[in-house]
Amino acid sequence: MKVLVAVKRVVDYNVKVRAKGDGSDVDLNNVKMAINPFCEIAVEEAVRLKEAGVATEVIAVSVGEKACQEQIRTALALGADRGIQVETEGSVEPLVVAKLLKGVVEKEQPQLVILGKQSIDGDNNQTGQMLGALTNMAQGTFASEVKIDGETVNVTREVDGGLQTVQLKLPAIVTTDLRLNEPRYASLPNIMKAKKKQLDVYSPADLGVEVKSHLSQLKVEPPAERQAGIKVEDVDQLVDKLKNEAKVI
Amino acid sequence: MSEPATKPLSPEILSALGAIVGEERVLTDAESAARYGADWTRVHSPAPAAVVLPGSVEEVQELVRLAARQGLAVVPSGGRTGLSGGAVACRGELVLALDRMNAIDDFNPVERTVRCGAGVVTEQLQQFAEERELFYPVDFASAGSSQIGGNISTNAGGIKVIRHGMTRDWVAGLKLVTGTGELLDLNRGLVKNNAGYDLRQLVIGAEGTLGVVVEATMRLARPPKDPAVLVLGVPDMASIMDVLAAYQGRMDLQAFEFFSELALQKVVEHQGLQRPFDTPAAYYALLEFEQVSDADMEQAMALFEHCVEQGWVLDGVISQSVAQALSLWRLREDISETISRWTPYKNDISTTVSKVPAFLAEVESVVNGAYPDFEIVWFGHIGDGNVHLNVLKPDALPMAEFQQRCGEVSRWVFEIVQRYGGSVSAEHGVGLLKKDYLLYSRSALEVDLMRQIKRAFDPEGIMNPGKIFD
Ligand SMILES: Cc1cc2nc3c(=O)[nH]c(=O)nc-3n(C[C@H](O)[C@H](O)[C@H](O)COP(=O)(O)OP(=O)(O)OC[C@H]3O[C@@H](n4cnc5c(N)ncnc54)[C@H](O)[C@@H]3O)c2cc1C
Ligand SMILES: Cc1cc2nc3c(=O)[nH]c(=O)nc-3n(C[C@H](O)[C@H](O)[C@H](O)COP(=O)(O)OP(=O)(O)OC[C@H]3O[C@@H](n4cnc5c(N)ncnc54)[C@H](O)[C@@H]3O)c2cc1C
Repeated sequence: MKVLVAVKRVVDYNVKVRAKGDGSDVDLNNVKMAINPFCEIAVEEAVRLKEAGVATEVIAVSVGEKACQEQIRTALALGADRGIQVETEGSVEPLVVAKLLKGVVEKEQPQLVILGKQSIDGDNNQTGQMLGALTNMAQGTFASEVKIDGETVNVTREVDGGLQTVQLKLPAIVTTDLRLNEPRYASLPNIMKAKKKQLDVYSPADLGVEVKSHLSQLKVEPPAERQAGIKVEDVDQLVDKLKNEAKVI
Repeated sequence: MSEPATKPLSPEILSALGAIVGEERVLTDAESAARYGADWTRVHSPAPAAVVLPGSVEEVQELVRLAARQGLAVVPSGGRTGLSGGAVACRGELVLALDRMNAIDDFNPVERTVRCGAGVVTEQLQQFAEERELFYPVDFASAGSSQIGGNISTNAGGIKVIRHGMTRDWVAGLKLVTGTGELLDLNRGLVKNNAGYDLRQLVIGAEGTLGVVVEATMRLARPPKDPAVLVLGVPDMASIMDVLAAYQGRMDLQAFEFFSELALQKVVEHQGLQRPFDTPAAYYALLEFEQVSDADMEQAMALFEHCVEQGWVLDGVISQSVAQALSLWRLREDISETISRWTPYKNDISTTVSKVPAFLAEVESVVNGAYPDFEIVWFGHIGDGNVHLNVLKPDALPMAEFQQRCGEVSRWVFEIVQRYGGSVSAEHGVGLLKKDYLLYSRSALEVDLMRQIKRAFDPEGIMNPGKIFD
């Protein structure tokens, strides 16, 4: 069974982002980039399926500028067999990404596509679902457990108030939640091997997709600064302030 | 020197203390005594006569003058994370805790210096620097509690010494209240000041025996660029030093730490962390380097290949994100806290880096022979020639017996230290715990000179008496 995993290059989770001076966008100059944490979980899950003998080939795909090859190489170091970059410029909307992924799905015919439930930069939580609609494949989103069973996959989903398990017919789409697995570290020998793995580059035209923008970003601004707290002398003062200043009790 | 008071303080003295700092800042209750009378060590029972919490330099001066008049021993107290009992008050001393003197001000971006009260918590200074896109490079696992005054008084080292040196290298100036209550303003932030002896350097590492550090001007550095963390599995101690030599020959490392398999097991089990890789290894080396350009990563990879070919390294991982770098660091940084539940007997020994392999081989064979029934956890700043040897107390063994057995073996270890011209306390200071062993790394003449220097700063002998030497 072939598994396709999507990986996105995003600002490292631990970096404090800043807005550009003119408010046009987040300042990405000299900022540390990394693989989107949910995509990392997707790669780990695919690699585990391969190690379990369920998957035969894992293909990592990323849509983005040349630099995103770095994240594809990380996925290859983690255990993916080969990579595909769909080369685009600037930021691309979820719908375009989903269309490009659909192109790759048609080329590769994977039985399973694993994506992160969202990327931590755009926070859109759309790509997996849009890909489901475009390809007519079944989808199991927010997965905390994935079990392949013959021609079907059981996906346990983290929903409000508990867990829900859905059974999907393969080929299917799974988007990962945080608790699906704990991704491994990339080992140095595997990083070196990853350098030699195949990485194909496609243009959107190769996949028959026209990159169009439907959205324009008006403004990016930092959240309002929180006021510093104060120290109260005793419980009475605290109660008094809660009552008379904050008016919450 | 007058004997320190061991009786409870008289009401007169208590009210005189209260008149200086305010009654509510003189603590004599059992809970405060237990809290402020102990550091991270758990060997001595805390028994201070009282705890005072001054809020200004003048108050510290008045307290010390009062103590000098009354012949009352004073224990300066910082974050009490010290590992040698320096801040322990177990003989009816007056604990002078600097917690309230925690202001950071006078930031000077041109000099890259900032003034800190002695009670500023190390992490508070690190954050202050970070907010200004600068960096305070002295760092270790207790930075969230230790104070600048305590760091200066122990000349704390930590995990970035290989690149940035010890606390000493970051003190541009400091103010000291001597044992007579006088205030010294030492070096005033100057880069160059050859006008006489540099008394500041004497105060750094003096463990509160020369006076109370009340304020310091600290230097800040530029922040490291995109640090990457490597964890390598290594078959034996000798190979660790080969790896160090290989990397240091080609790269400016930010850190070079090591830990043993047992240390890793304990941390993984108790902190819920992930093993870096499954390949078993006797020891692990943790390296950090800056990625100024892609060439740095290529260099690190090439060196890794070389080390594997030489048989010095079995496997390795590298951080792919800040989160992974932090997780890998925790494998090393969480060791102290993880093993504290076994009240370990700690040896913090060092020698020059080139002598480390032979030195460690000897220490290892003595220790393994002497403690066949004890668990031994090795870790430390091996890139500085400094290892922490921790012997874990079996739960069933009574503390006194454990201490006694470890004390005996320590003598053999320290004989090796002496032969190698090493130190019986690389970075934790002497305090109470290493006092009996000082002569293994200092000559009698040196210790005698230390005593004379102490007398010059503290003629009444009230400043942390009984620490470092009697
Ligand atoms: C988990 C852990 C990890 C550690 N790792 C390291 C490490 O990697 N490297 C390292 O060097 N150390 C390490 N330490 C020990 C280290 O010495 C302390 O963390 C720190 O430097 C002590 O600061 P403190 O404020 O807690 O001092 P305290 O323990 O309060 O005092 C230490 C000594 O300084 C004196 N003192 C304190 N404040 C003053 C003052 N204002 N004026 C005069 N004297 C004063 C005390 O009397 C005492 O003698 C570690 C400790 C722990 C618990
Ligand atoms: C042209 C010129 C340029 C200079 N530029 C600089 C400069 O850029 N930066 C700078 O820092 N200095 C500079 N200096 C002065 C500098 O202090 C000396 O050049 C040098 O450091 C002193 O070394 P010396 O061996 O000549 O010492 P001496 O002049 O012989 O002695 C200096 C002091 O050290 C003592 N001393 C000497 N040897 C010993 C010893 N073995 N043990 C104990 N005490 C000893 C002496 O008693 C004396 O007190 C300059 C001097 C000149 C003439």
